[in-house]
Amino acid sequence: MSNLVLFQLRKSTVALSAISKLNKTHIEIQFNFKYLVGQLSQRLQSTSSQVVVRENTKREQKRVVPPNYRHIYPEFLPDPNMEFRNSVREKLERTDMINRRSRIEIPEFYVGSILAVTSSDEHAVGKTTKFVGICIKREFCGLRANFTLRNVVDNLGVEIKYEMYDPRLQRVQVLRLEKRLDSELLYLRDADPEFSTFPFDMDAEFLNEGAPVPVNPLKVNLRPPPWYARWERLQPKGAIIPELRGRRKEKSEKWLEKFSEPWEKYDLMKQYRKTIPEEEQDSIYSDIYSELHQMEIASKKLKRKKAFVKPKKTG
Amino acid sequence: MVYAKYGPPAIIHGVETLDLSRSLLKQEPVVSGEWTPGIRRTGLIARKIGVYPMWMKDGKKVATTLLQVVDNYVIKYISPEEYQASRKAPRRYKNEGKWGCLVVGAECCDPQKFTKEYCGLFKDSGVAPTKILSRFLVSPEAAIQPGTSLSPLHFKVGDHIDVFGISKERGFQGVMKRWGFKGMPATHGVTKTHRRGGNIGQGGNKGRVFPGTKMPGWMGGRRRTLRGCQILRINTKFNVIFVKGQSVPGGQNSVVFLHDTLLPLKWRKTSPEAFPTYFPNLQEGDSLPVDIYHESVHNFSDPSIMYEDEEVKDAKK
Repeated sequence: MSNLVLFQLRKSTVALSAISKLNKTHIEIQFNFKYLVGQLSQRLQSTSSQVVVRENTKREQKRVVPPNYRHIYPEFLPDPNMEFRNSVREKLERTDMINRRSRIEIPEFYVGSILAVTSSDEHAVGKTTKFVGICIKREFCGLRANFTLRNVVDNLGVEIKYEMYDPRLQRVQVLRLEKRLDSELLYLRDADPEFSTFPFDMDAEFLNEGAPVPVNPLKVNLRPPPWYARWERLQPKGAIIPELRGRRKEKSEKWLEKFSEPWEKYDLMKQYRKTIPEEEQDSIYSDIYSELHQMEIASKKLKRKKAFVKPKKTG
Repeated sequence: MVYAKYGPPAIIHGVETLDLSRSLLKQEPVVSGEWTPGIRRTGLIARKIGVYPMWMKDGKKVATTLLQVVDNYVIKYISPEEYQASRKAPRRYKNEGKWGCLVVGAECCDPQKFTKEYCGLFKDSGVAPTKILSRFLVSPEAAIQPGTSLSPLHFKVGDHIDVFGISKERGFQGVMKRWGFKGMPATHGVTKTHRRGGNIGQGGNKGRVFPGTKMPGWMGGRRRTLRGCQILRINTKFNVIFVKGQSVPGGQNSVVFLHDTLLPLKWRKTSPEAFPTYFPNLQEGDSLPVDIYHESVHNFSDPSIMYEDEEVKDAKK
């Protein structure tokens, strides 16, 4: 008797981002529906099972929202944990975020980009402070979204955590837009200070419109251990881990053997639970697309105006 | 029988009819009174839909809990005499005898999902059977006609409310988590006693462990009240009340009950605008703002917060 195995799978292509425990790089895997079904049926290895696939008639529908919105505005996607989700709260939060964005331009940036943030400070001279630094971390979603900037000032490493939707921020400017090989750059704390130093009067570097965001393949030299964290276990791609000796080396080898989970990259359901499915992403962004698009157009006009310098007559 | 049901025969304005001056209603319409200090109004039933940050105008960040008031109706009003007669337990408060009881229901549902007896509770009010029911002690002046729908505008921005609900269940917990005991050192020769309670009594005259001694046990899943929460914002589109603070009992999407605060320093001194409750004005319906903010709260649509220089401040003075 043949077993009919009905899969209630996603209607259109499933987009997942695989974050490996050991190496923290974001890898975009666009699963084709047929590939996914093929993989699953292979794993079942049951000759008597049939996989019934529900075709989506709307798959050919034209997409309104650009596919890179989840990279430019990642904090609009809520926490995938079902325990904390509520559609009404998410809608209200999105409205508040858009309202704030209508007052300040929060540009596209990634971990590894260099930002200059001007914010109101009660205790500063002139009541404003400017800080320039490299973004080493981006956390949380919604109105709680924040980013940490790091710089070395007077031989002292300084990190400042800014809330993205804090009304005290006056200006967020991206001086250098680029990505790094890792999604978090906390190892800069244990690296040579030259990798975290950026001048406060740095000029903004412009990228051509429509050009892809460059990935800086820089490998940072770490100072000898002890470190802030056990980098030899986390194996960051953007850091050169020095040769370990003695007990530290033994322990790290043992740990890697014991705790490495090579099956994790095959765990599709785990990745599924950590991400918002593509259809939901589309519905979330299409809700706010018109406002975001208008803001983008307005900011582009401003940039062109600034970049354009009226030619002066000479002679 | 006709006369018993409708009234005695009479000649009114030269016409032979029945004397219908006696009311034909089964229940007399509820009449509300005037507000005086000390009167208790009804409460509302809400769902805790989340927590998110808001900023005050001086730049201070504050966590706000979102409470969505969905589909609230008054089901029944019980007068103080009737309510006291029905209670078997002894009176707990000094003024308990003077309060009536208002039964409020939330989230109407298909009657087929409930028993016939449960649906019978809603017959008189004409409301569809609700999933959640709650009692609120009210003064007779604040009684409301059954069937009235309640809105979050019953409260005003800046009001202080008490929020009660069932706290999150944490299971069988030890003395450190449950009662905040300090435990014992992890090292320095301490034998097998790191998270235990230690001494539980004195001995001698009493020679027993007193009832109520703090020990490990079941933690959570009990009714708890958060008192004196201030309302910072009300969203009229989704009927959401934003309350300052994040320790509202219960987990995400859990049911909570709100009412005017009982804290004496935060009692009302002036009459609330919505007494006994908020009745929507049909003409006013369109002109209601979507979001009503407290004056100290920063609206996200406003420009960024800037601090004034002392010189500018002095010059203004």
